[in-house]
Amino acid sequence: MSFTQFQKLPAYYRWPILAFVGIVVLALVQELTGQGLLTSTTTIQTALKWAMPILIAGLGGLLSERCGVVNIGLEGMMILGTWFGAWGTLQFGSPWWGLFFGILGGAMGGLLHAIATVGFGVDHIVSGVAINILAPGTARYLSDRVFAQMDGGSISQSPRVESLGGFTWPVLAKGPDLFGRVERLDWFIVSDVFGVLRGLLFQMSYLTAIGLALVPISAFLLTKTRFGLRLRIAGENPLAGESLGINIYRQKFIGVIISGGLAGMAGSLIVLDLAQLYRQNQTTGRGFIALAALIFGNWKASGVLAGAVLFGYPFGLSLRDLEGTATRSLLLVIAIALVVVMVWAFTKQNIADGILAGTVAVGSLLFFLFTNTAPSWLPGTMPYVLVLLVLVFASQRLRMPAAVGLPYRKGGS
Amino acid sequence: MSTAIELIGITKRFPGVIANDNINFSVEEGEIHAICGENGAGKSTLMKILYGMQPADEGVMKVNGVEVDFSSPTDAIAAGIGMVHQHFMLADQFSVIENVILGSEPTTVGGILDFDTAKTHLAEVGDAYGLTIDPDDFVSELEVGERQRVEIIKVLYRGANILILDEPTAVLVPQEVEALFDNLRELKAAGSTIIFIDHKLQEVLEISDRITIIRRGKSITTVNAADVTAGDLAELMVGEELPSPETTESTVTDVVALEVQNITVLDEYGRPVVHDVSFKIHQGEVLGIAGIEGNGQGELVDAIVGMERPLSGSVYLGGLDVSLKSVRQRRDEGFGYVPKDRHEAGLLLVAPLWENAALGHQTKPPFAKGWWIDRKGSHQRTDEIRERFDVRSPNADVAAHALSGGNQQKLIIGRELIGDPKVIILAHPTRGIDVGAQAAVWNEIRSARAAGQASLLISADLDELIGLSDRIVVMFHGKLVAELDPAEITPRLLGSYMTGAALQGGAQ
Ligand SMILES: Nc1ncnc2c1ncn2[C@@H]1O[C@H](COP(=O)(O)OP(=O)(O)OP(=O)(O)O)[C@@H](O)[C@H]1O
Ligand SMILES: [Mg+2]
Repeated sequence: MSFTQFQKLPAYYRWPILAFVGIVVLALVQELTGQGLLTSTTTIQTALKWAMPILIAGLGGLLSERCGVVNIGLEGMMILGTWFGAWGTLQFGSPWWGLFFGILGGAMGGLLHAIATVGFGVDHIVSGVAINILAPGTARYLSDRVFAQMDGGSISQSPRVESLGGFTWPVLAKGPDLFGRVERLDWFIVSDVFGVLRGLLFQMSYLTAIGLALVPISAFLLTKTRFGLRLRIAGENPLAGESLGINIYRQKFIGVIISGGLAGMAGSLIVLDLAQLYRQNQTTGRGFIALAALIFGNWKASGVLAGAVLFGYPFGLSLRDLEGTATRSLLLVIAIALVVVMVWAFTKQNIADGILAGTVAVGSLLFFLFTNTAPSWLPGTMPYVLVLLVLVFASQRLRMPAAVGLPYRKGGS
Repeated sequence: MSTAIELIGITKRFPGVIANDNINFSVEEGEIHAICGENGAGKSTLMKILYGMQPADEGVMKVNGVEVDFSSPTDAIAAGIGMVHQHFMLADQFSVIENVILGSEPTTVGGILDFDTAKTHLAEVGDAYGLTIDPDDFVSELEVGERQRVEIIKVLYRGANILILDEPTAVLVPQEVEALFDNLRELKAAGSTIIFIDHKLQEVLEISDRITIIRRGKSITTVNAADVTAGDLAELMVGEELPSPETTESTVTDVVALEVQNITVLDEYGRPVVHDVSFKIHQGEVLGIAGIEGNGQGELVDAIVGMERPLSGSVYLGGLDVSLKSVRQRRDEGFGYVPKDRHEAGLLLVAPLWENAALGHQTKPPFAKGWWIDRKGSHQRTDEIRERFDVRSPNADVAAHALSGGNQQKLIIGRELIGDPKVIILAHPTRGIDVGAQAAVWNEIRSARAAGQASLLISADLDELIGLSDRIVVMFHGKLVAELDPAEITPRLLGSYMTGAALQGGAQ
C-alpha cells in the first residue's frame, strides 16, 4: 500500500494502524533497551490519565475553532473547571455534582470569551489571554473565601475530594481476562499490544470512558448533524452561512460555550480523577498542550485523540519512571520516527526537509547515546517539539478552518 | 402579468456614502430584468436589501403585491427569493451537497443530516434545469464555472421563483455564459422571475426583457431591451461612448523582458497540469493566453510569480534567472501581478485601503521609511491610486470590503500598475469593472506597454484579449498548442481553439 493510498483511508482505519505501528516501535525499542516500562499496563494507565485532560480540552478547542473562534483561554477555563469541580463535590457531596459544576464553571469562561470575541469583536488572543489571567485570580479569591474556611483547605488548596471511580471491562480485562492472558504469554510484540489494550480497559475511570466516547461523538456531531454543519460554516465562511439565513452569532456562542464546558470538564477531571483535591496551578499548562494537540490533529476529533495520547504518554511514563531511564529511550523512538520522515521526504524529492529530519534524528540519537537518564524537562517539552515538527514537515497538509480568528460582523459591515 | 417585486423609495447610507438614494424599481412576474450601472452605483447594495441581508434606511418593499420587511435572508427565502452573490458564497472545504443544503437541511431524528433525501432533491433540481454536478465533490476542487452552477443550484434547491443574479457572468468564458443563458431562459419559461446584474452590455441586451439603469445610487430609467443599443446603455450609465479595446500601433521591441523555459507543474496526484511550457515576452509587448479556465493557466501564473514550485523549468526576468527566488524577491526584481480572484489572493478584506495598497510594496518608499511603515506616504500613494484609477471610496481608511466589487478590482490594478513593474501578469484585469472604467484600465495597460512594460494577459473576455494582445497563445490541457495573430482572428475562431475543436482538424 502506497503512502497516498494510506492517506485516503478514513480516519477510523488510519489512526488504529498508526497506533499499532507506534506500539510496535515502542516494543522494539523496549527490546533494544531492555526497558520494561515502555508498554507496561501501569505506564499506559498513567499515560491515559494524563492524556484525558488534554483530549477533552482539545475537543473543546476543536469545537471553538471549528466555529471560527481561537480559544487560547482553554487553560483558564480548565482552571475554573478545577475549582468548581472541587467545590461542587464538597458542597453537594458527590463527585458527579463536582463534574456538573466543573463543566458549568468552564462554560462560564466560554460565555465570557464568546461575549468578548463574538459580541464585541475583541481580538481572540487578547480575550483568551485575559481569561487565562482572570481565571487563576478568581480561583484564588474564591479559595480564600471558601476552601480556606474548610477543614484541610487553604487559599491554594481544597480539602480532599472523592474520586469518581471507574470500572474494569468484564471478560476482556477481568474474569476470563483474555487480554491479560495474552500479555502474560510474553509473545514478542503481540503481548505488548495486548498489554497496552489491557492497560486501557483495566480500572478505566468513568471520566476516561466519557472522554474517549466524546471523540466519536464530537466527530459525528460536527460532520453528520445540522448543528455541526451550521457550526462549521461559521468557521469556514460565515458570510456564506449568513447569506443562507444562518445566525452566525448564535452558532459561535454555542460553539464557544460548549468549548468552555469541555475545558471545564477537563479541569474537573484533573481534580476528580488524578489529584482528588483542588490545588493552585494544577493544570500546568495543559490547556496549551491541548491546543498543540488540536493543531497536531489537524482540527479533527480523531487527530486530537492521537495528539493527546502522544503528548500524554511521556508524562505518564516519566511519572512511573523515577530514574528517567525509560523516558530516555523515547529519544530513540523520536530518532526512529524522524528517520521515517526523512525517507518519506526524500521519496517526495523534498531534499531540504529530508536533510532537516535527518539532522534532528542524528541529534536525538546522539542525545540518547550520551545520556543515561532523561532530563526532567523532556516530557513537558515534547508536545511543543512534536507540533513544531508537524508544522515543519506537514504544514501543507494542515487545514485549519478558513475563517478562524477573523472578525465577523453581520451584513459584512 | 403582475408585479413580482416593487421597491419604493429605497435609501441606504453607509458612512460617507449614500449607496442607494430613493430608488424606485419594479419587476414584472416572469421577466428577466437587468440592472446596469457603474461600479459603486449601488446595484449590489440594493439587491442585498431585497434579499434581507442588509436593512434599508428608508423605503418600502413589496413582493407579489404584499409589503414585506425582511430581517434576514431566511425571510426572503421564505418569500421565494434567492440570490447568487457577486462574490462566491461557498465554503471551499465543504462538499457540494453540504454547501447546497446549508440552512435548509433535511434531517432525520435528532437533527441528523439526511444526505439521501438531499441528494435526491438535488438531482431533481439538476435534472429539471439541466444543471449537473457531483454532490460529493469538494468545492475547492471545482472550476469557477462549476462553482457558479453550485450557487445557482443553491437558490433553486430552496424553490426560489424570484432569482437575483449579481454579475454571474463575470467569471465565465463565453461558452459557459451561453450555457448559463440557456438555463435562465428555461427558468423564465418555467415562470421564474430573474433580476440580473452585468457589466457586459451585449450580454444584457441578449438575455433581458427590460433594463433599469442606476447611476450614483439613483434609479435613472427603465427601458425595454428591444428598444436600445449597447451604445445607448453606455451613455445612459456613464454618459460616454462605448469604448473598444483596440490596440494602437505596435510597440514591441526585441528586448526580451520575460522568458519562461520548459515549465512543468504537477498537480497533487502527480499529473502534469502545466506541461513543458516555454515562451518569451518582449518589452512593450502584450502576450495573451487564451484558454478555458482549468487548462493550467492558474498554475503557470503561480509558477511564474513564485507562488508554486514547478517540477522543472526556469523563469528569467530581463535575463536574470529568478527560478529560485521567492515571491517577495521576484516582486522586487520587477514583477507585478493582478490575480484572478480578488478576494482569494488580491486583498485583505478587513484591512483599510491604504494597507491593501501597500501590499507587495510594503518594504519600499513611499510605503516604508527604513524599517517603519510610512503612514503618511502610504496614504498619499493610496489617494493617488484612488484618483488615477477612479476607485470610489470615501477615504483611504475604509476597509476593503466596504468597496463595491469593481472598485476593489480597480484598487488592485492601480496598486500593481503604479509601481511600474517591468513585467506584469494580468489575470482577468477588468473582471467586474464597468464599461467606462474598463476603457480607463485598458488605456493604462496600453500606456504602460508603450513605456516598455511587458504584459502577460489572461482573460475570459475574448474581445479584450484580442484587442489588447500583440500575440495570442492558446493553452489547452496544460500545453501551449497554438500561436495566433490577434489581427487575424475572431472571437468565434479563438473559442474553437480554446475548446480544442480547431486543433483536432477542421478550421485553421
Ligand atoms: N458594507 C459597506 N460599508 C460601507 N460602504 C459600503 C458597504 N457596502 C457598499 N458600500 C458602498 O456603497 C456603494 C455601492 O456599493 P455596491 O456594492 O452596491 O456597488 P455596485 O453597484 O454593486 O458596484 P460594482 O459594479 O462595482 O459591483 C459603494 O460606494 C460602496 O463603497
Ligand atoms: Mg456589485
